[in-house]
Amino acid sequence: MIGVVLAILIVPLAAGVASFLVPAPVGKGITIVSGIAAFGLVLALIPSVSHGTLNYFTYLRADAVSGIFLLATGFLYAAVAVYAAGYLKGRTERYTRRFYLGFNVFAWAMLAAPLMGSLALLWIAIEVTTVVSALLVAIEDTDGAAEASWKYVLIASAGLGLGLLATIFAYYAGSQVLGTHFNLGIDPLIGAGSRLPKTPVELAFLLAVLGYGTKVGLVPVHTWLPDAHSEAPTPVSALLSGALLATSFYAILRFYQFTAAALGSGIPRDTLLAFGIASLLLASLYVFGQRDVKRLLAYSSVEHMGILAIGVSFGAPLALAGVLLHVMAHAAAKGSAFMGAGVFTVKYRTKQMHTMRDGMRLLPWSGPLFLLAIFALSAFPPFGVFRSEFQIVDGGLGSGSYAAAAVLVVLVTIAFFGLATSATGMLLSPAPRSADAPTHAPTGASPGASPDGRQSPGHAEAIAAALEDGAAVAVRTREEPSQATGSLVSGEPSAWMVVPVLAGLAVLVLLGVHPPADLTNLIAQASAQLAGAQPRGTP
Amino acid sequence: MNAPPGIYQGAANVIAALMLLLEFGMLRQALVRDQVRLYAAQSALISVLAVVIAADRNLPDLYAVAALSAALKVFAVPYVLRRLLGSPAGDEPPGVAGSHTLSPASAVLVCIGLAAFGFFTFGSLGIHSPQAPELALAIAAAMVFVSFGLMIVRRDVASQAIGFFSLENAVSLAALVLAAGLPLLLETAFLFDLLLAVVVFGMLIRSHHARAESLSTADLSRLRG
Amino acid sequence: MSAALPIPLIQLLQVLTVALGAPALMGVIAKVESRLQGRRGPRVLQPYYDLAKLCRKEALAPSGASWFFLAAPIIAVASYLTIPLLIPVLTTYGLPLGYMGDILGGGFLLSLASFVVATAALETGSPYAQLGSSRAKTFSAITEPVVLFVVFTVALLTGTDLPYALAATVRSSASQVIRPAHLLASAALFMVILHETGRIPVETHTGTNEFGMIEEARSFEHSGPYFALLKWGSMLKQFILFTILADVFLAPWGLASTQRLGAVLLAIVALLAKAVAIGVAVAVIDDSFAKLRLFKITEYASAAFLLAVLGVFTLYLGGG
Repeated sequence: MIGVVLAILIVPLAAGVASFLVPAPVGKGITIVSGIAAFGLVLALIPSVSHGTLNYFTYLRADAVSGIFLLATGFLYAAVAVYAAGYLKGRTERYTRRFYLGFNVFAWAMLAAPLMGSLALLWIAIEVTTVVSALLVAIEDTDGAAEASWKYVLIASAGLGLGLLATIFAYYAGSQVLGTHFNLGIDPLIGAGSRLPKTPVELAFLLAVLGYGTKVGLVPVHTWLPDAHSEAPTPVSALLSGALLATSFYAILRFYQFTAAALGSGIPRDTLLAFGIASLLLASLYVFGQRDVKRLLAYSSVEHMGILAIGVSFGAPLALAGVLLHVMAHAAAKGSAFMGAGVFTVKYRTKQMHTMRDGMRLLPWSGPLFLLAIFALSAFPPFGVFRSEFQIVDGGLGSGSYAAAAVLVVLVTIAFFGLATSATGMLLSPAPRSADAPTHAPTGASPGASPDGRQSPGHAEAIAAALEDGAAVAVRTREEPSQATGSLVSGEPSAWMVVPVLAGLAVLVLLGVHPPADLTNLIAQASAQLAGAQPRGTP
Repeated sequence: MNAPPGIYQGAANVIAALMLLLEFGMLRQALVRDQVRLYAAQSALISVLAVVIAADRNLPDLYAVAALSAALKVFAVPYVLRRLLGSPAGDEPPGVAGSHTLSPASAVLVCIGLAAFGFFTFGSLGIHSPQAPELALAIAAAMVFVSFGLMIVRRDVASQAIGFFSLENAVSLAALVLAAGLPLLLETAFLFDLLLAVVVFGMLIRSHHARAESLSTADLSRLRG
Repeated sequence: MSAALPIPLIQLLQVLTVALGAPALMGVIAKVESRLQGRRGPRVLQPYYDLAKLCRKEALAPSGASWFFLAAPIIAVASYLTIPLLIPVLTTYGLPLGYMGDILGGGFLLSLASFVVATAALETGSPYAQLGSSRAKTFSAITEPVVLFVVFTVALLTGTDLPYALAATVRSSASQVIRPAHLLASAALFMVILHETGRIPVETHTGTNEFGMIEEARSFEHSGPYFALLKWGSMLKQFILFTILADVFLAPWGLASTQRLGAVLLAIVALLAKAVAIGVAVAVIDDSFAKLRLFKITEYASAAFLLAVLGVFTLYLGGG
């Protein structure tokens, strides 16, 4: 398995460097191959980590928990690599090469983080993800992207500064028991357990939640998230929401493991509960009234990270299993949602939802798929998110956290309303009819008629008038630069952008209906590892 | 309260106090060039402190860390910052006077309050150990808060970036106090990671400067809600 | 010579040293400054001649000024001459009258002197004098907290308010000198001294600059012997502040620990040497920096405040 682990570490980095040096179409192919290869390698790793922890070279370590996060990142890497091939159609050569370099290095750092056996290297990996993704957010070179990337890099780096302080305190606690040249290995730290001095460990955990929580998007340090996720190019947004937030949460989970071993589970769980409820509450309120589709999805990410935190705070093995399944299901769902939204933004040339109409007709594949992705995010059966949230709530009720579980359910429902109203508006509302169509020349706004029967009598006259003027009616292939929806022709911009969404939804159905046995074993092993850190007899 | 610390501990405490004072100095500076110099001075003090601690506790690795940290943070990082923060024509970095939200005196007073908060909360935690001078840890905590203060009260990207770098310096101070025995490999990795962060920050600042023709962040408030 | 001097005589000697040495100190500083500027400068004893000349001149008072205007310089000098009784000037042991007041008492006397001079200037109705006194009082209000925090540092370090006790503590070991609290308090006090004696960067001591005058303006309306008293008063203030800085904080060595004549004479010489050393430092600063604009003096005061506050904080966690 050593070869697999090393390959996971080397392939994406090599792909990044290579795709910068070769012409863009070759780079595109290299990235897709690298993505699929990385995912395949991760799948190959799963059976081994289900049975125990792998340790190589002192600093490389893979266990079941890392396996879960590797699966989530690996799948998204492969899917988004394919998606990007279609999304970047029409960009300049220079942009494409820089994009693929950043993209691959970003995925490399996110794949490396769960494989790091030392908290210090974990911090370094997450810091690398921050700086690379900041450059990717800024790559669009618009005013909004510049603002978003500056906010992101400043807030996230400051948060990681606190995370470094947390790592230092963890070192201090560990070195009191394990000696001065302690290298922040995870297993020794968990093993030291209750011998660790209490105050530094408490401090380390709190700083870790605050610091790494900045990158996870926990309220109140989430303020960079809506901006960065909405201004970045869509493939990057998908990776940010689906994989990066999860990887940062992985760091918090590691701190949780040894903190619970040292202090018992009271303080860590209360902290996570507080942050989780705050995030869920704020996000479910903010999804109402969003005008930008990617911002809407970004707030949905905050919501789901809140759910993860609450799930861990319940502490029951069932809830922990739900959390781990949720990591993977959220990655697939959020990735699909972003990818679908990206198709919309390419088609309509805007991110504003209130100007997008009639999505079902204009995008016969992506429209319905996007709707399904939104339903998946709202925890509809048969998708995986339903199963995971069900497990979390079940675990919470079983472990006695009735109030928190009830709050969770209520807030998730509220968020569903927000998501659904916006999304269905985009997809199912008919296209608007503009009243002054006949007087415009062909390059102006054309009548917003649709050739099927949804017309009012006045509109028929307008069409007749337009025909008399020789104005083009809707079914031309030329796409207008103005945003009148009716002038857009039905059809997918690119097949590359449809397939990954299909794959994502298929994975969600698989996770929801019948997770494969290997996966269930992996989740069971991982949740046992997380729960096993608690002292016996904790309810 | 009357027992004085030993010579080494006293020196460590003095160096930490000087670093905090330099942090306050950054609140006042109007020119980017001066802020970068203060940052270089702060980093030099960290290296000196590393040498003092290495001598006091017999940690030969720490000498190497001190040298590497000096090379990187006293020379490389300020050089990179000056190059990237300058105008595209390559001359002196601009000044950012007028980017204060509070006058320097008020900013100092506010940051004294922040420093006091950090100082006493960390000091009262009672993290005692024969190796860790408690005072230096509390000063490091105060520095963290003051560098956050610096990032908040200034409205230009250069000061905010320098605030972040001095945050890293404050965490390095805490690391020297608490984690002097961290393996050399990890310390080196931290330092190079910092260099990478500096490069990325510099690139973003440069593109902001090119786009907005100034270093001010006054326009960066379009994304809301 | 091992004759033991009686205590009252030593006490008198303390006052006399300050009273007679102050103009000399002023002269030395002026000379050093001029040399640094490349000039030959006035002779070191010039202030004595200036004071003598002023005493021979006619004293005038503005119409409308009351007795207070004439009494103020006398009250000020009396206050200044009382302070050497309270602080360690020549001896390490406390002298009987030294227990009349602690370091806060010394601070009070300094403020009293400053207050009466400022009020007398207000009485005159002259614009420059009023300008100077209002500025002086405003900035004093800003620097008073700094002095208070320095006093707190003293109190925390020694458990008492007596300057003698602090001097003894500092003498006790080398590591005391490099305590952060001690260094910070000394630095803060030095900044306050620059402010109180009207030196760069707060005010230019040489020449009158209307836009920047603070201390200089308060004595505008006095003349003759009263003006001589005011000038002598500010020289006394300078010497006293230098003495506090040197004998209590920075260099409390060379003080007489017995009553022997030899020791006392050595102490007088040591004190003058230390005061001259501080004076040279002040002269170098005078020639190296520019005067701050008036509204930036708040920044200067906030910097001094920062140093003093940090000094107190560092003491709280032990090892400070």
